[in-house]
Amino acid sequence: MTKAIAHGYPRTLAVALAIGLGLWFATSEARIDTWASLLPLFEWMETTPLGVIGQSWGAVFATVQAVHLLGMALLGGAVLVADGRLLDLAFRDTPLLEVQTHCHRLFTCGLVTAALTGLFMTCGVAIKIYYLPVFWYKMLALAVGVAFVYGVRRPLLRQDSDQVHPAVLKLLAVASLMVWFTVAATGRWIGFSG
Amino acid sequence: MENQPAKIKDTQGAAVLASVTIVGGLLFYWFIQLQAVREMLALAYGD
Repeated sequence: MTKAIAHGYPRTLAVALAIGLGLWFATSEARIDTWASLLPLFEWMETTPLGVIGQSWGAVFATVQAVHLLGMALLGGAVLVADGRLLDLAFRDTPLLEVQTHCHRLFTCGLVTAALTGLFMTCGVAIKIYYLPVFWYKMLALAVGVAFVYGVRRPLLRQDSDQVHPAVLKLLAVASLMVWFTVAATGRWIGFSG
Repeated sequence: MENQPAKIKDTQGAAVLASVTIVGGLLFYWFIQLQAVREMLALAYGD
């Protein structure tokens, strides 16, 4: 029985395992130990050239932050259009697969832009954000969102959508909107903290 | 939809499991945040 499930539902099993691991990590001492062990990394980040530039030249930090926001806007726009189509709220006349393929490309561009600029910004204020719980909530939401998009959403939507139950498509869209809203909201929250 | 290929059944199952976990987890998270704001407002201005 277990073997049959493992063979027939490898992706579902992988998701269940990931959820189980996540719950164990969130409730165990390992979370605190991992957090403590990351402090030297964040201290080192502030001493790197990126960290020094971020702390010394406000204009550079502001410019990179603007590009970060543009990346987030691209990502958010792609999510809104793709999920609007899944919810039958937008682009109803365009085939679902076409909308999803174009939006996924834009989403990846936005994600790479936001991640690269985000790394620079993190170096500039590494110690400050290390002690902000909301930074870790954002990283968690981002990791979940990326895993969800590339491990669950894209593989499902690449297939024939007529074979997928419409309620599943709508549930997928709601989950996607919620996770990227959380990434954006916690990101702004970091900006208003400390 | 009853005769879905096995691969679609698997990816669909994974999507449902992941989506329900995300929606449930985030509803809980934002509920806790809203509660914290309400408590802070009650402390500042009273009930």
